[in-house]
Amino acid sequence: MAGSGIAHMRNSTDVVLTVRDLVVEFRLGKDRVVRAVSGLSFDVVKGEVLAIVGESGCGKTTLGRAILQLPPPNSGEVIFEGTDLTQLPKENLRSARTAIQMIFQDPISSLDPRMTVKQLIDEPLEIWQRGDEQERSVRINELLNNVGLDSELVLDRHAYEFSGGQCQRISIARALALDPRMLICDEPVSALDVSIQAQIINLLQDMHDRYGLSIIFISHDLAVVKAISNRVMVMYLGKICEVAPPEILYAKPAHHYTRALLNSVPIPDPTRQTRTELLQGEPPSPMNPPTGCRFRTRCAASSVLCTQEEPQLREVSPGQFVACHHPII
Amino acid sequence: MNSLLSIKDLNVSFDTPRGMLEAVRNVDIEIAAGMSVGIVGESGSGKTVLSRAAMGLLQGSNVHRTGTVVFDGHELTAMTRPEVRSHFGTGMAMIFQDPMTALNPVRRIGAQISESLIFRLGMSKKDALKRSLELLQLVRIPDAKSMLRKFPYQLSGGMRQRVMIAIAISCNPKLLFADEPTTALDVTVQAQILQLLRELREDLGMAMVLVTHDLGVVAGNTDYVAVMYAGQVVEFSPTTKLFADMRMPYTEALLESIPKIDHPAGKRLLAIAGRLPDPTDRGSGCSFAPRCRYSQAKCLEESPTLKTDPDGHLYRCLFPIGEAL
Amino acid sequence: MFNISKFTKPTWLSVSWLGLMLFLAVFGSLLPFKSWKFVYENDLGVVPFSPGHILGTDNNGYDLLVSLVAGTRMSVFIAITAVSLGGLIGSALGITAAFVRGKVDTVMSTVFNVGLAVPNLVLALALVSVLATNVDINQAVPTWRRVMVLIISLTIVLIPILGRIARGATLSWSGRDFVTAARSMGMRDRKIIMKHIVPNVLPALIAVAFLAVGVVIIAEASLSILGVGIPDGASWGGMIARGRNDLEYSPHVLYIPIIVLAITVISTNHLGDVIRASLDRRESKV
Repeated sequence: MAGSGIAHMRNSTDVVLTVRDLVVEFRLGKDRVVRAVSGLSFDVVKGEVLAIVGESGCGKTTLGRAILQLPPPNSGEVIFEGTDLTQLPKENLRSARTAIQMIFQDPISSLDPRMTVKQLIDEPLEIWQRGDEQERSVRINELLNNVGLDSELVLDRHAYEFSGGQCQRISIARALALDPRMLICDEPVSALDVSIQAQIINLLQDMHDRYGLSIIFISHDLAVVKAISNRVMVMYLGKICEVAPPEILYAKPAHHYTRALLNSVPIPDPTRQTRTELLQGEPPSPMNPPTGCRFRTRCAASSVLCTQEEPQLREVSPGQFVACHHPII
Repeated sequence: MNSLLSIKDLNVSFDTPRGMLEAVRNVDIEIAAGMSVGIVGESGSGKTVLSRAAMGLLQGSNVHRTGTVVFDGHELTAMTRPEVRSHFGTGMAMIFQDPMTALNPVRRIGAQISESLIFRLGMSKKDALKRSLELLQLVRIPDAKSMLRKFPYQLSGGMRQRVMIAIAISCNPKLLFADEPTTALDVTVQAQILQLLRELREDLGMAMVLVTHDLGVVAGNTDYVAVMYAGQVVEFSPTTKLFADMRMPYTEALLESIPKIDHPAGKRLLAIAGRLPDPTDRGSGCSFAPRCRYSQAKCLEESPTLKTDPDGHLYRCLFPIGEAL
Repeated sequence: MFNISKFTKPTWLSVSWLGLMLFLAVFGSLLPFKSWKFVYENDLGVVPFSPGHILGTDNNGYDLLVSLVAGTRMSVFIAITAVSLGGLIGSALGITAAFVRGKVDTVMSTVFNVGLAVPNLVLALALVSVLATNVDINQAVPTWRRVMVLIISLTIVLIPILGRIARGATLSWSGRDFVTAARSMGMRDRKIIMKHIVPNVLPALIAVAFLAVGVVIIAEASLSILGVGIPDGASWGGMIARGRNDLEYSPHVLYIPIIVLAITVISTNHLGDVIRASLDRRESKV
């Protein structure tokens, strides 16, 4: 099967994560299989913030979890710092995972309601016996202060007593407890109020700067990732459409889907309402994706070639890679 | 101005285990026929409660309400529930965030659209089905004929919302309430639904109240905007005027803080510090004062009243933007 | 989780009644009564509130208050033991099935469903008849063996009921992000179950266990009436079984254990509902 191409892969020594030909399928009954992630490859260099953007059903959440082997992908490689996580025995995977931590969309569901904040943050430290009780207690205070919470006020309270934004801060503190080198943030601000979103994005940016983290930031919203990302990858139905640095992608999108996404974002300025031709229809079912280019059923530029041959990623301008037979240039 | 919906000094509060929750405080809004008004606010701002109260939907033993809501010459606040309901469909109609819960899962789409046509307009079953087909075409559903025979679970989120809109406009309402109609949808579908609502409003001449958390959504789709914070309308003005010349520091801070598509890449966002106020503890002074960059000592003591610019721009601030201290 | 100051009157009554039953079950033998098998030959079929017999006697001359206290011990012991065992085994199976998923879950769910499809009483009846009868029908089966078999039968009846509750609750909790988060931190599955699943599933299970106590008490009584319960009338069901023959002459012999049994079952059901409701409130907050 044709992959989505590997032209965008970098052979730098700084690469910390390489995902190659990743396939994740879900079985929904006897003969019904959904291929949520379909032979996808990408890499992340040290300290990079990679944004993965796409609409519901594009496989972005599944992709994020498959990196952590939760659940393991059906095929493909996930090489983190030189180790292929898909090949690791269970016990080694357990410790390897601690270098990559996750932040979830629903800040309340990601914290056990029965536990206090102290217990929540202590949990990873306790599993790996990082220091005695007193050392851990010092560490918990430090982590909470780092994410902008007053440890004295919050330690003995339960997650449900907090607002969504505060819960997300607690989640970030917990994720940082084991000194991870990579964070996978799955829609970390989508469930938050608009005035709180910027706080959390800025906090993630601060943590990135302070700890030299690599971050995979998964979102449905191109506007949300613009401020924080170094590289943006647009997904559609389990495949990559376009990969580019934000300065290029937002100014000169080469894929028709990227441009449609950009045009769909509501602009909070009545004087600059672009009434361009909107994308018609909705994404087809991932159970039965179109042949050739997966976007062709909604694409104004689609041709016969698009129905026959799947486009491979290629570089159309320095750093900008697009999987389209008829890119916008 | 001939007003279609007139809300006067509306207060709504609820008894909750944690104490009295003042959801809506001293709200006055006038909506003329054909006008579209956006109500913008975050969670706990009171925007949803306000829209429910405006539809006459809030009744119950734990609800305390003062003030009046007059729709098309009828005072909804003095009506019983069945009387209020008699205005639904022909007078006002509504669409919600989650169309799946508003549609009956075991009935076909055709039956659900014709229902109100038969019930409200007294159409025959045959005429109602014919009209349903036209309505589905009106909301740009491809292959509308086969849609009549489908069940809600067979539809995507965007299609369901289109069906909801078809039901809402079936009896030519004068006013459409849209409560976060696109929040559950993907951006490309959101854009389609917003465009549809714009076009339908122009064609049918109906007024619309668009409740949303997204300043971007109101910017392109409403004539007027009411910004809500902590249960109060803190700013109200024509949409173009609001974005060009905002007076309320909250509106300014909110607009600055939201991630925007034209934000310079790699540049830090301007966040509003602090968190949303506790709705059970309104305290004294301006509700936004603890988070406001312009706040003065006076703001913590004195509750600002609604001031009016000569051009009708309303704001609730002691030290509005653009006024020398 | 429970706010005593918010208890309503029925809740207080239920708690007090169940407390009294528990007290009688545990300390009943310390009360200054003669053996419940002592026969008052001069007081046969005495009505309640007679001197010396507050609840009267039956036509065999047994004192009903003494019988009732002895019966409480037996009925409560059977109910609590069967529900604890059923809950323990059922939840272990249900939680494992839901957590592991796959084939284990399919097999376990099928077993539960088959168990639920067989009428409870018929299953218990069959088990008791097979396990608690002697080959030599002239030899009586010892009471302890009857009790054991009864407990085992009722436990088997309860396992699928409680197992399914545990399975359902586990499915919903194990889908939460905090379980994924725990995995990504490197927590072992066994610890995830003990630390994150069990404590969250437990409250739902306890609520159902209260209802199950009522079910078991009634089942035990039904089996006694059918003649396969505890012999000699040493339980509430046994008392009812024995009293039904004297309905015409001494109706109180029948009514007294029935009333006690009914109040007990209503109390456990009510408390089960109260726990369920408080749980839903907590859930809605979460």
